[in-house]
Amino acid sequence: MPILNSVYRHREAGKTLTALADYRAAGGFKALEHALGEMEADDLQYAFVRSGLRGRGGAGFPMGRKASFLPKDSKLPKYVVCNADESEPGTFKDREIMEMNPFQLLEGLALAGFAIGAARGYIYIRGEYEHQARILDAAVLAAREAGFLGTNILRSGFDYDITVYRGAGAYICGEETALLESLEGKRGQPRLKPPFPAVAGLYGSPTLINNVETLAALPPIVTNGADWYLSMGTEKSPGTKLFSISGHVVKPGNYEVVLGDTTLRELIYEHAGGLREGRRVKAVWVGGSSVPVIGEEHLDVPLDYESLQGVGTALGSGGCIVMDDSGCIVRACLRLATFYRHESCGKCSPCREGTSWFERILQRMVDGEGRMEDFDLLESLFRRVSGKTLCPLADGAIAPIRSAITLFRDDFIRVCQEGSPRPDPMLPATVG
Amino acid sequence: MAEYAPVDLTVENQVEFELDGRKVTAPAGTMLADACYAHGVEIPIFCYEPRLGPPIGACRMCLVEVEGMRGLQTACSTPVAPDMVVRTTTDAVKEAQDGVLEVLLANHPLDCPVCDKGGECPLQDRTFKFGPGQSRFVEPKRHHPKPLELSDRIALDRERCIACFRCVRFSQEVAQDGELTMQARGALSEITTFSGDAYAGRFSGNVIDLCPVGALTSIPYRFVSRPWDVQNTPSICGLCPVGCNTELTVREGRTKRVTGRPDPNSAVEEGWLCDTGRWAYDASWSDDRITGAIVREATGDRVAGLEDAVDAAAALLRGRTVGILAGTGATVEEAGIAADLAAGALPGAIVARMGIPGGALAGLRALPGAQLGDIDDADVVVVVGGDPAAQQPIVELRLRKARRFGATVTGCGPRPHLIESLGAFTRTVPGALADGVAAVAQAIAGATLPVVLWDEADLAAEPAAAAALADAIAANDAARQIELGADVNGSGLRALGLPTADLVLDAVREGRVDALLLVHAEPLDAPGRTAWAAALQDFAGPVVAIATHPTATTERADLVLPALTMWEQDGTLVSMNGRVQRLRPGARGPEGAAAGWELLVALAHRLGAPPPYRTAAAAFRAVTAGHAAFAGITSDTAGILGVPLAAPAQVDGASAPAPAQGEGLPLVATREVYGGTHARRSASLASTAAEAAARIAPATAEAQWVRDGDRIVLRSPAGDSGLLTVRVEEGWPEGAVFAPLGAPGAPTEGALPPDMAPVLVQVVRVEAG
Amino acid sequence: MDADQIRAHLDPIRHEFADPRSLVMPALKFAQTEKGHLTREDMAAVAEATGYSPSFVESVASFYDRLYTRPVGNRVVSVCITLSCMLRGSDEVWEALCEHEGVDHHHGGTSADGRITIQEAQCLGYCDRGACIQVDAEETQGPFTPEEAVKLVEELREAPTPAELWR
Ligand SMILES: Cc1cc2nc3c(=O)[nH]c(=O)nc-3n(C[C@H](O)[C@H](O)[C@H](O)COP(=O)(O)O)c2cc1C
Ligand code: SF4
Ligand code: FES
Repeated sequence: MPILNSVYRHREAGKTLTALADYRAAGGFKALEHALGEMEADDLQYAFVRSGLRGRGGAGFPMGRKASFLPKDSKLPKYVVCNADESEPGTFKDREIMEMNPFQLLEGLALAGFAIGAARGYIYIRGEYEHQARILDAAVLAAREAGFLGTNILRSGFDYDITVYRGAGAYICGEETALLESLEGKRGQPRLKPPFPAVAGLYGSPTLINNVETLAALPPIVTNGADWYLSMGTEKSPGTKLFSISGHVVKPGNYEVVLGDTTLRELIYEHAGGLREGRRVKAVWVGGSSVPVIGEEHLDVPLDYESLQGVGTALGSGGCIVMDDSGCIVRACLRLATFYRHESCGKCSPCREGTSWFERILQRMVDGEGRMEDFDLLESLFRRVSGKTLCPLADGAIAPIRSAITLFRDDFIRVCQEGSPRPDPMLPATVG
Repeated sequence: MAEYAPVDLTVENQVEFELDGRKVTAPAGTMLADACYAHGVEIPIFCYEPRLGPPIGACRMCLVEVEGMRGLQTACSTPVAPDMVVRTTTDAVKEAQDGVLEVLLANHPLDCPVCDKGGECPLQDRTFKFGPGQSRFVEPKRHHPKPLELSDRIALDRERCIACFRCVRFSQEVAQDGELTMQARGALSEITTFSGDAYAGRFSGNVIDLCPVGALTSIPYRFVSRPWDVQNTPSICGLCPVGCNTELTVREGRTKRVTGRPDPNSAVEEGWLCDTGRWAYDASWSDDRITGAIVREATGDRVAGLEDAVDAAAALLRGRTVGILAGTGATVEEAGIAADLAAGALPGAIVARMGIPGGALAGLRALPGAQLGDIDDADVVVVVGGDPAAQQPIVELRLRKARRFGATVTGCGPRPHLIESLGAFTRTVPGALADGVAAVAQAIAGATLPVVLWDEADLAAEPAAAAALADAIAANDAARQIELGADVNGSGLRALGLPTADLVLDAVREGRVDALLLVHAEPLDAPGRTAWAAALQDFAGPVVAIATHPTATTERADLVLPALTMWEQDGTLVSMNGRVQRLRPGARGPEGAAAGWELLVALAHRLGAPPPYRTAAAAFRAVTAGHAAFAGITSDTAGILGVPLAAPAQVDGASAPAPAQGEGLPLVATREVYGGTHARRSASLASTAAEAAARIAPATAEAQWVRDGDRIVLRSPAGDSGLLTVRVEEGWPEGAVFAPLGAPGAPTEGALPPDMAPVLVQVVRVEAG
Repeated sequence: MDADQIRAHLDPIRHEFADPRSLVMPALKFAQTEKGHLTREDMAAVAEATGYSPSFVESVASFYDRLYTRPVGNRVVSVCITLSCMLRGSDEVWEALCEHEGVDHHHGGTSADGRITIQEAQCLGYCDRGACIQVDAEETQGPFTPEEAVKLVEELREAPTPAELWR
């Protein structure tokens, strides 16, 4: 019986699985053998649907449903694209999977490819992950040599190969249509939707796009069955999730938790070693930086999609950033505003101009030159930009700031009047 | 600029939807922005421009509420659907409009008073109509050193740019010159060319019309005028036989700007102009413009007033048998009145037209014709001969669009040209175009809706190819043809039934005429100029020329009557494929000049046979009466957008050209609208001027003992060319020489016979390169 | 770099893409390995090798943070300044490095000897090892104190660049 609480084999095995032999010893490629040998593509898709697996890239859309949107009768080739652009601040879980367990991702991609009848899979990996990209390159080579990729895989007649494609530094390329543009060799600017990628994606062909963590979850689901996966987590949030935790915690890192079983407090204090002596939690961005911030009062929220939504935030990518009471919330917001201003692709006007404007207002505040009317101005700008842009980046820029102003209004007012003295950072030396 | 696509509310299959509480309809698939506009509701837009391809939804200006859809929708990219409920005036929509305009204006300079676009600026207009009351942006605005010169003709004020991507999409998708792109990212995004090179597109000026703010402006028009100080007149371009519809901007009696029409003519140019058509207007006040009558007397030239000059012309011509020549650019009125002179004021006159006889083309011209706009619907487009990009520039954009829409573009011909990159083309040796036709016949036969474009000059020279092509087109009932004409008003002159110039030439030689009247005709600068020069050598009679600019012909004339240019006069031109369109006077023209048709009317008065018309419209009616091609067409029915001729512009009796004469290599001439005559006459186009080069393929050059850069003369039985510079280039067929018409001094024309019949030339090297 | 070298680099992966435009990015990344940044000639060569206009190629190159259309130093040191790293002292690291290399504190820049470029980076995906630094396009390292970061840069100044190592 497989263990209940781990989906990612390197975690289960307690070691790096970059050698094909090690991955196979840990049960690797059994799922692909099983699927190609004994399953129809439709059964496989059905297994994905039944498992309830939700996309781990941020939006949490059910993976199986997305796969079912691809037209069955299209004459165009189909593609699977793995979103390994992982650029959401605070998020580094995909990095771990690619670094320590590349074959599980490749196997997942191959399963998804077989399920939709794809001609090729692409892994779009952010340019900064050159090291991880090389590990993937080597893994693809090894898998191909072993017959798990290439023509007539495992003598099943299924031809499928994987290309590792390196980005070159642009957060927006994590947005699925911008990613496709980038993969097509263009500027990574989001496309107007519809059409959705499932209908017209890469090169105008039907394309399934999923996150690394999502795709890597497929092999154990096939091997152990959808019921096994469903038995973990809650009804709406089955399975486990990798949380990246960073910031003011003693043991930053990735932790796999069963959804709904663990609270935020447990993640911070039990898994991540808690805070520095004498410090209290000030603010937490649980799902990467594009989600509303929450404060100490919500530490007991269980980590699953619905509970986090219940306290006004979102699970997002699972990149949990913790700030203790030594940090300044306005400064933190400014830093995020800078991030989004820098990463706005510039295609649509509200985001291109709006993100610059947010940053400049927050900069004034941090410099102690904020005006009381800036609160209304910001709120009005948020209202005018939010939901009006071409892609959700601008909403991601707004969510953390808007929520911070509501939650920590007093801090903002104080900073507007006095400026923000530079806080004492938690230097690496103080890590436990 | 036109912003919204026209919507036909009368076709079948209308979808009913609700717009602000009203039940309205639009054809299925119409974008909401267009559908609303058709019902009088203006949805503000910036990036949307249907002519640029699918919407991109970038500016977010057009957000509207659609019941049942989450959030606001971009009207530019949401097609109407049955029973859709659309609201365009709700608070949420208003807030969104305020929001987008507020952020667009945040970094937009407040320099409307000094901005060329002020007064005709969509951003300004929409800010008044839809925008927020005041700006809440207190930070310093983005600043750029200003302005950047994208080319000699286009300035870019980067701080005014709102990144609507229109110019970029034009360059990338429509003109496909690949030159303009957006660089950098986010708020730093800016429009540039590669490393700041000059924008070298041949249609570059369209980005000025497209720009919804004052970021891209025309350098020749910079600071020249304000919208409230000018009059705008719809006219057409008379620089090439396509006849693009234009709008003339006039201030103080001069044409100060030419732009695409705000309501484009989708049958012709679709609102685009080539750079030549856009900027050549300054030729109308070039230094050498003929602004007063020139009377040549033994004691020297005398400049005369118009009245005196017309009197003098009448005195010179009275009682003589006059040969009258209408130039290829003469309007229908000018040529028609000139022809009428023979019946009254100048009895016995022989009237003819310049241009190609085209006896071999009757079969082709009789086949069903198409408008340029019909190319959009074609599945196969075939180009036979010619070089449309050089000779009929806007056709290039039509063909690129057809390709974008998925049509197969194919063809054949002797010259390598830009259109060839759009599909499979067969290169033919001059004289063997019929082989190429055989190769494309298959494509015509297999197509559902083929459109065949054929080059007048190339096919006139090769009767066998013309006949074969006519057969191929006739074999497919759905096939239609478009003539790629050589001359601006060639069709108009033919439709008037004018015979070819050789009639007058022979009469001159044989002494059957004892005076010449040249109406925008320049026989000493046209193909056959050697023959004309010889004939005029001993010609004792007076030569009266109506002209706008000095040429070898006006030099030879005894009296030059100063005429108006196409930017200054009323008249009618018939485009290459038979579209009757009106020139409308933008500017007044120089004090001492008058419209050619008025000069001719005045002349008739002086000669004692006043014609019964006083306006161009009346003249048009009178001179076209009795010509089947013009049946039912008046200046009114031609309207703003023009109408096709009632019957093909055929001429009877023109014979097929003689087989090539002489020995040596066939000479193939190309008319260069882009970079040719007009570029040399217009100061703003000077940098586009091409050299007068004879193009020869490498092996042929070697066989002829010439090298790249050598200066040569081409010798044919028709005469010697002027000096041409050899350019040895791959891609041209071996065993032939290619040379441009219209170069200064008309070098190529010297080696050609008057009827443009094929000739063989010997290459005589004059200077080593 | 010339178009032939780029073509030779692309040939083995050409078949992996249904549209050759996808090769623009690998071509740019490869071209950049020669001088550390993309010159006008490099971009023109990429255009020639891939069949797109030079202007298009430049527009792509200028979109991405890790493609440089302006000269950079022999080694490029990217300091992550995003939230997680900021909480871990990346501002201090950044300032120490700017100070040490004598470059502008706001924008970073290249040291006078041309060896080191200090630049800001947005989240590098190594938040667990903040404050983190990426050197060239290679692995990201961390965590760093300001002192350790200065030491790293000193080592880099002496060390050969990857390109130098290959030759
Ligand atoms: C601005 C922006 C950035 C994104 N970045 C990423 C990313 O880095 N990685 C990722 O997997 N998904 C990212 N996404 C989400 C993707 O658009 C997409 O939803 C996801 O790849 C789908 O995969 P999933 O269903 O497996 O989550 C981003 C979305 C937006 C709007
Ligand atoms: S919201 Fe921002 S990132 Fe998204 S398309 Fe608009 S400008 Fe680009
Ligand atoms: S006009 Fe619709 S988004 Fe620009």
